[in-house]
Amino acid sequence: MEAISLTINGKRVSCPSGTSVLTVAEANGFRIPTLCHHPDLKPFGSCRMCLVEDEKSGRIMASCVTPAAPDMSIQTASPRVLTHRKNIIRLMMAEHPESCVVCSKGNRCRLRGIAAEMGLGETGLYPMANFKAVEALNPFIVRDLSKCILCGKCIRADHELVVAGAIDYNGRGFRSRPATLLDRPLEQSTCTFCGTCVSICPTGALSTTLSGYVGSPEREQVTVCSFCGVGCLLRAGAAGERVVEVNPAGVQESVNGATLCVRGHFAHDYLNSPRRLTAPMIRKENELTPVSWAEALDSVADRLLEIRKAHGPQSIGFLGSSKCTNEENYLFQKMARTLIGCNNVDNGGVLSGRPAFSVIHERTGWGCRVNPLARLEQAEAILMMGADPGQSTPVLSYYIRRAAQKGIPLVGVDVRKTDLTPFAAAWICIRPGRDLEWIYCLTARLWKRFGHDATYIEQFTQGFGPYCDAVSAFNPERLCMESGVDLAVLDRAVDLLKGRKVTFIIGDGIMRQRQGPGVVNAVLNLALMTGSLGHDRAGLYVITRENNQAGAWDMGAVPDALPGRVPIGDAAGRRRWERAWKVKVSPDRGLNMIRMVEAAEKGTLKALYVMGENPVLSLPQHERVSAALEGLDLLVVQDILDTETSRLADVVLPGAASPEKGGSFTNMEGRITRFDPVVAPPGKSLPDWEILDRLGQTLGNPQPFRSVEHVQEEIARLIPPYGALNPMPDDGWAWLRHAEPARLFSGREDGPLIPFSALGDMNGDDGDETYPLTAVLRSLRFHLGSGTRSGCSRRIAAFAPPDGISISPEDSRALNVSEGDTVRIQSRHGSITRAVRINRDLLEGCIFIPTGVRGNDALNLVDLADVNAPGFEGFTRCRVQLKKQGGADEAQSH
Amino acid sequence: MKPKAIDWDVVSSIIDDHKAEKWGLIPLLQEIQEAVGYVPPETIEPIAEALQLFPSQVQGVITFYAGFSLEPKGKYVVRVCRGTACHVKGGRSILRLMKKELDLEENETSEDYRFTLETVACLGACFLAPTMMVNRTYYGKLSPNKVTSLLGQFKKQSED
Repeated sequence: MEAISLTINGKRVSCPSGTSVLTVAEANGFRIPTLCHHPDLKPFGSCRMCLVEDEKSGRIMASCVTPAAPDMSIQTASPRVLTHRKNIIRLMMAEHPESCVVCSKGNRCRLRGIAAEMGLGETGLYPMANFKAVEALNPFIVRDLSKCILCGKCIRADHELVVAGAIDYNGRGFRSRPATLLDRPLEQSTCTFCGTCVSICPTGALSTTLSGYVGSPEREQVTVCSFCGVGCLLRAGAAGERVVEVNPAGVQESVNGATLCVRGHFAHDYLNSPRRLTAPMIRKENELTPVSWAEALDSVADRLLEIRKAHGPQSIGFLGSSKCTNEENYLFQKMARTLIGCNNVDNGGVLSGRPAFSVIHERTGWGCRVNPLARLEQAEAILMMGADPGQSTPVLSYYIRRAAQKGIPLVGVDVRKTDLTPFAAAWICIRPGRDLEWIYCLTARLWKRFGHDATYIEQFTQGFGPYCDAVSAFNPERLCMESGVDLAVLDRAVDLLKGRKVTFIIGDGIMRQRQGPGVVNAVLNLALMTGSLGHDRAGLYVITRENNQAGAWDMGAVPDALPGRVPIGDAAGRRRWERAWKVKVSPDRGLNMIRMVEAAEKGTLKALYVMGENPVLSLPQHERVSAALEGLDLLVVQDILDTETSRLADVVLPGAASPEKGGSFTNMEGRITRFDPVVAPPGKSLPDWEILDRLGQTLGNPQPFRSVEHVQEEIARLIPPYGALNPMPDDGWAWLRHAEPARLFSGREDGPLIPFSALGDMNGDDGDETYPLTAVLRSLRFHLGSGTRSGCSRRIAAFAPPDGISISPEDSRALNVSEGDTVRIQSRHGSITRAVRINRDLLEGCIFIPTGVRGNDALNLVDLADVNAPGFEGFTRCRVQLKKQGGADEAQSH
Repeated sequence: MKPKAIDWDVVSSIIDDHKAEKWGLIPLLQEIQEAVGYVPPETIEPIAEALQLFPSQVQGVITFYAGFSLEPKGKYVVRVCRGTACHVKGGRSILRLMKKELDLEENETSEDYRFTLETVACLGACFLAPTMMVNRTYYGKLSPNKVTSLLGQFKKQSED
């Protein structure tokens, strides 16, 4: 690009053509005040604060929208410029209410900040406050538009970053204001309450409800959100030792930039919940009684060692957490393996589809782990399946929306329409559990139309011919009929994907279902066939529900692998760890989370140590889990909240939430982000790594770590992909090492080719007369997982997210239920009662049940079975029947 | 009298004509305004869907231009000029008389949807000052008598 040279304030500077005067000036250290400018948004030029003067032409212009031109001679603060700027601020102030004392933007208000810098106090103008009604109907966002300066940042963030389109300018002149369609309240618009507009608003026009603190926080620090696998960077504001506010960190190159979602932005008030645990407790005379840390840790160590002596190491289980840090999971599994001597270690991530994740890891190793979300916006085509990122991982959904807006074809496949459907070039609605059918059909059609990448297939793969013959042998009409797919829509998708590198986004709907592994194999085959695997403009994005699901596995908090995902049966790998730890490691795979519960039921598991999980709520069949845990000789629960599980514990150890401790998380992109504590943990509670370190010492570890850095040093030294963890680059984040796709193909010239896997088993759910409907279970954006933490958020509770089930209009007619009726949903395993909403976005025969609400009772509909067992039915769907409640005959029978 | 019911067939065919058209929003809105007399709020969402815009954006354009209205207007839309030339020639008293005769304030529509009273900054016919427009017709060199007789005619016509 051509370089341009110009003068700014007498200094000769140069820049590439097309750069704005503002950008050049800032790059050369000249500060120009701005109100409407934001680096992530397109230049807008509405506030006129960035006026500069070109001495040569005498023109005054807004520098943010003026491209630098050769031989300009810019003055950024000439007397003329300053006069104009002051007058603009004075006019804004004359229209602005003088309510700074009670304004929650406090000292961060840019209007006030710029006025202060320019020495403007009284405007000397007649005040013309433009009063508007304050809207505070919802528990998230307060809109006080009398403070609006019409910079349009909220609107542009809504359109360009989040792509929700809830608001736009309404009216003109003095009456112009950002407004929703027909000026309805936000909750009736397409607003998702991501709060991006609140953080980006330069004044107090948009602020947060129910903060319990008004004004600027005492200090702010960057930390990481733990409400989903995206792992957004947060800027947490603290007052005293309390987190009072959360905003996106706004760091360039971070996964979220200036955006967040409703959980990340607003649900962090759970940190100040009265349900926080603040002191260690031991059950004495059936009552949990506060004790000292020394007493609690001694008691845990003594009883663990006693049980090990009496029943052997296999009688003890360790349940780590996909929400805790890498360091904590590493310490946790190390304690189990080296100090107790068992492999009974797992983490809650097992519920998110461990068998399907294992298939991906077995077939691609570390080779497909790094998938930066930013690459989605450069994709050639996106195929999204079984995913509802608008609910599960909202920040990912913003990337998809932005990609679609840029014209990248998006093909969505799901059991229902979602908020991404309007952005899709093709949307395929399928029957639950019929994924293999449509993938095979798509594969066959793609091959028939020469949509595959023959060179890639020839060079890197084997077994393509037989695989294609096998999928082509199916009758496409029959496959479509069985999966409920319209063949014309599928062909449209084929046209969109043909000849392109395909980016795959795979969600819970695939990963957590019974056929998960088979479907993932078929998807990987599709990725090989289109030459997408390992390609720069493609990727394999698997949505992880929990913030450190990937990291917990990498750290070895699983029963079948050592840290670094070394299979427990791999003798050489095991020996490496034995040398590093100087102990013998058992070669037998341990119990996973569900097997632990089963073993507790049978009485073979005597003790369970739970860190940061709430199995009573997160597992199916709450009563059964609860009974199993009650039967244990020892239940140790280390958590931040008083949960359904901690209430059963013999010893409770209060831990710390992520803003209260240091550590690192690994997100779904393969990015490791390190963070430091923002505030101290409440009361006597301690960071979880410190609890584990001290407990390790009590259990006989002669070399405690004493600091997070020492743990990170060991991880970085022993797990090569985590080499960047210590020393960590200054940004605070790094990609997993040795995890570039190139590794999949390097040295493959004469090495083994990547095989196509065989066909999977297409047995869908058999129809059943007693349970004629298929229920799809999924969480909504207001809650994560079992809703343990988000359920403690005052704001989320006040919003009362919808908990009713959705049913198609056809089924509602057939069952004679109407909107608002209460129904009883019964499966083979349990029943729940809910209100009905009628939803056109569902296929006939399919109902939708939100999880994470009402104590996550929807999980009682599914069976508690091991994810690896042949009888496993998955956690995403089940066969149910539906009965209307409260009718006349119902009342009689009671 | 009630405002005319929306003829959805007409509206839908206008929307279909502009489906997925780039820069098609304003022509589309003009056609609807012309056919229906205003842009009914119920049409915003179908328009947005057809043009792949956000409904809030469509509304933003409608409320920006004085030429579009989200509310039904009277059979006769009277626009009294408030420009400088008309002001000098007594435009203010014309407006005052109009308000009295129609029993309407500015930007109001009579309950029977016969008249809407509006003012404009300038009609660009200063040589005819004071002026007004009724629907698409200009009336110039107005006097109180002329206004009363014109209104009489319109009232009579609208009763027929």
